[in-house]
Amino acid sequence: MRMRSRFVQSVSAVLAAAFAVTCAGQAAPRLPGELAWTIGYDPKTFDPAKVDDQESELVRYLTAGVLLRFNRSTQKVEPQLAESWSLSPDGKTLIFKLRAGLQFSDGSSLTAKDAAWSIRRVLLPATGAPVAEEFISASGVTVETPDERTVVVHLPKRVIGIGKVFDEIAIEPAEHPSEGRITAGPFVVADYRRSQFVRLRRNPHYQRRDSSGVALPYASGVRLDVLDNHEQEIRLFERGEYDLIDGLPPDYFGMLKQKTPAAVRDLGPSLNTEQMWFNQAPGAPLPAWEKGWFQSQVFRVAVSRAIHRADLARIAYEGHATPAYSFISPANGEWYDRDLSVPHEDVAAVKAALTGAGFHWNGSALEDAAGHPVKFSILTNAGNAARMKMATLIQEDLKSLGMQVTVVALDFPALIERLMHTQDYEACLLGLENVDPDPNAMMNVWLSSSPNHQWNPSEKMPATAWEAEIDRAMNLQASSLKDAERKQAVDRVQQIVADQQPFIYLVYPNALYAVSPRLQGVQPAVLEPGLVWNVESLRLDGAR
Amino acid sequence: MRGRLLASWLLLGLVLIAVAVVAAPGSSYSNQDREQPLAGASMHHLAGTDTLGRDRLVRVAAAFLLSLAGAIAAAAVTTAAAAGVGTLSAFSPATLGRLGMLVCDVFLALPWLFMLMMVRSALPLTTSPAHSAAITFLVLAALGWPACARAVYRGALDLRNSEWMLQARAGGLRGKQIARHVLPNLVPLLMPQFLICIPAFIIAEANLGALGLGIGEPLPSWGGMLLELDNSSMLLQTSWVYLPIALLILILLLLEAIAVEV
Amino acid sequence: MNSAVSLLKRLARTVLIVFLVVVGSTVLIRFAPGYLSDAREMDARYGDAARAELSAEAARSVSLRQMLSMEMSAWTNGSLGLSRQYDVPVLELVLPRLAVTGGLMLRAIVFAWSLALCASLLSSAGRNPSLLWQAPAALLLGVPTAAMATICLLAGSGGPVLVMTLLLAARDFKFLDRLLRMAWLDPHLLQARAQGLTTFRLVRAHILPSITPQLLALATLSIVTALSALVPVEVIFSVPGLGQLAWNAAMNRDLPVLLAVTMIMAIAVTFSGMASDRFGEWQRA
Repeated sequence: MRMRSRFVQSVSAVLAAAFAVTCAGQAAPRLPGELAWTIGYDPKTFDPAKVDDQESELVRYLTAGVLLRFNRSTQKVEPQLAESWSLSPDGKTLIFKLRAGLQFSDGSSLTAKDAAWSIRRVLLPATGAPVAEEFISASGVTVETPDERTVVVHLPKRVIGIGKVFDEIAIEPAEHPSEGRITAGPFVVADYRRSQFVRLRRNPHYQRRDSSGVALPYASGVRLDVLDNHEQEIRLFERGEYDLIDGLPPDYFGMLKQKTPAAVRDLGPSLNTEQMWFNQAPGAPLPAWEKGWFQSQVFRVAVSRAIHRADLARIAYEGHATPAYSFISPANGEWYDRDLSVPHEDVAAVKAALTGAGFHWNGSALEDAAGHPVKFSILTNAGNAARMKMATLIQEDLKSLGMQVTVVALDFPALIERLMHTQDYEACLLGLENVDPDPNAMMNVWLSSSPNHQWNPSEKMPATAWEAEIDRAMNLQASSLKDAERKQAVDRVQQIVADQQPFIYLVYPNALYAVSPRLQGVQPAVLEPGLVWNVESLRLDGAR
Repeated sequence: MRGRLLASWLLLGLVLIAVAVVAAPGSSYSNQDREQPLAGASMHHLAGTDTLGRDRLVRVAAAFLLSLAGAIAAAAVTTAAAAGVGTLSAFSPATLGRLGMLVCDVFLALPWLFMLMMVRSALPLTTSPAHSAAITFLVLAALGWPACARAVYRGALDLRNSEWMLQARAGGLRGKQIARHVLPNLVPLLMPQFLICIPAFIIAEANLGALGLGIGEPLPSWGGMLLELDNSSMLLQTSWVYLPIALLILILLLLEAIAVEV
Repeated sequence: MNSAVSLLKRLARTVLIVFLVVVGSTVLIRFAPGYLSDAREMDARYGDAARAELSAEAARSVSLRQMLSMEMSAWTNGSLGLSRQYDVPVLELVLPRLAVTGGLMLRAIVFAWSLALCASLLSSAGRNPSLLWQAPAALLLGVPTAAMATICLLAGSGGPVLVMTLLLAARDFKFLDRLLRMAWLDPHLLQARAQGLTTFRLVRAHILPSITPQLLALATLSIVTALSALVPVEVIFSVPGLGQLAWNAAMNRDLPVLLAVTMIMAIAVTFSGMASDRFGEWQRA
């Protein structure tokens, strides 16, 4: 009896402890004037020079003071910490003139010395900054400070869009890299709880002011909650816990629209594309006849013409997508080619073309000249409902041609292994995120020698004449000094891609956002970060 | 007894209705009526359509037949394996028994997620959806037994040490005859396990879809339809999404009624 | 002396199990597809950095023996290794989450047992399996965790503890219902009831003691079910516990973290098994 009551006592004690423990460690309540939204995962680093993932990039965007800012709305480079800047005609010398009276968040003054030190640190191989690669040959870059407010950067080789590169270089106090704790941007990293939240607070010494002279940012801080679950995010958004949703999935758009129509925004096509491609790598572990199909232009164009893109946009994205035929989206005003001639849907013409290429029908099944039934798999990543729907719709479309398609969804690491290391796949359906409208940022995808040349990575020599032509055109646009010449080269690449269909473009997903009615100052843009690119001008209604 | 009979007839009736729905001329589980995605009930589609415009009734019926057969078979295999391992361990010499439970514990703790990924990478990508389904249920059956084996081991040990068993063994009862006496007494432990495994395997099959296993498109997956319930926008759009879960509860109740011990 | 020897034996058993689990896990994780791949390889800006990290990892994990000896040295120096995702000592990641997960599991298991016991006592007293009790159990078993979580979120109430409690209670109920049904049929109970013993005394003095050994075996089953339900519940409700850590580590092939979490789970399962054995022996003594 005594043992039993002692047992009960000890159990109660443990229970009480457990209760206490579970009550601790909750997310901090919201501070007044603080903006809040979610990020999908923990930022890998707070050191602005070492940023190599999306969420760290967001934190850098919100906290870093930069010489030049790429305005996501006007898509033009604007001076930020620099009062003015100039680029020499040969593109190899940059001169920045800093504003007067600049300060860091801790009150210390910001001079050319700090700017030069920060730039040099980014260029150092020891830092391993991904942005150093944008300078092409970082070791040859020199930085001088003729006086306290002037910084001169000499480049060994001209870099296209060098202004945008400085949007990614944070100016930190010389000799004191602080991992975001001392910054010249609108906010400063204040608190970080792993897997819970990142808290930023207002920089009291931020140099920008609004038109009436009020110091920016308006908000007292920002809380970024680490949350990967759309259901919870939307519940909390509806309850007012979050002020915006960056990247709303299409199926939740309709639901939110019904409840609060003023809160949702559909900005039309984004810069991103969803595409399908066939494995054309000669070394792939596929049977020779399959490689023959995938390397045949007729086959690829046939598949492309049999897909009903309008259905993909309407059903898989609930209307929040636009059929795509090229890698430049209509949202990219400067580079979009209106006169592109693309192969349109026409199942009858496709059947004729396939017959001409030696295919024939055995009952309802398509077979090649040697009698092999046309069977292949489409690989995509698990967890993306829209892509799974598209793959299933395409499976049905190709069934009308007699092709037997299997849809396989894998988790990302296994998928990447097949795509980039073993080339053990037949067709793949994935999306590409474009953060930079300039096609020069896509060199890695179009150059045949690149490991990101998805359908045939790391070619020692272009395998076909048209790939060689794409290489020539992309190299031309990278080195040309004339805008018209660059546009012509990129148009040429788009036409080759439309004729050869190495990537079968499917849709441009629309940019979908949700904004709380309480949030003022939002000007949604298509480029990332679409809702908070002007974070210093955002404020909550009733706070202030 | 009457309840049992009634439940069996009901279950048979449901199976026959499902077969009739699937085999009816003109009904297809993969045909996409793209003009009417997520439509409500109509003359053409008695239970409406899913997000890709496929007839929900035919898909639920086909999923019912496919997943139920697979899950019941897999649950039976797993329960039998647990019974076998648990009983053998209990009736062997003590060290073998402890070894058996050691293997059981190790098995329980290993991260089988990765083995499943390896299974997927060993299969050719063009494995047909039906083969993929069969392999998935096989794998689930192979992985599900340790959870119950320990409880069976405990129960079997108790039986082994119970008076009547001691007397029987002293009287010369051996091997197969022991099994004939032991197994019926283990049924109260095994039956709930069997009944729990069925919905667990149905859902697990759908979760394996995230690894590339599971029932491939366009074959309907019951687990996949159940997982649709986690999307609040679906729940608010049409109430026909509740058809699969309603059917599942009905089936589980019928099975429970059939398996009751009096 | 006897008890010291048996304690040592149990300890040795636990160590053996943990060792086997670690070796098995290392093999499975290392040779599963995707160990040496990173999603950032697809991004032109970060591809080179990702590839450099991956080749460093490949050099570190060339042979199984090399990997195992690295892991052993990491544990002996106390940090349990360095997380591949976060670049911090694994111990720092695991300790705070252990408290959170432990609390969640403890509360869920206690509530689930109470709920299941009460429900099964009431349901098994009836003659036939009553639909009133079986239907909710069937519902809870059939609805996926994700759907339950969504319903909780839609309703704006309930959370991880509720969902786990319901999941565990449904499973425990099934077992307890049958056990109790058999227990009610014991001949000496029939006589006791004929003699006018109240149900409460019947339950307390006769039924509960007779099913206690099975109850203890059920404990292991419960803990195993709770551990497997932990991952979906924590991921969906974003609870910063071990389940969420394990899931992220699995998706990112973070071997040191996965090993630490697997070890903890192996110890939990082994201890629960041993505890139920021990209790059984104590009961019989």
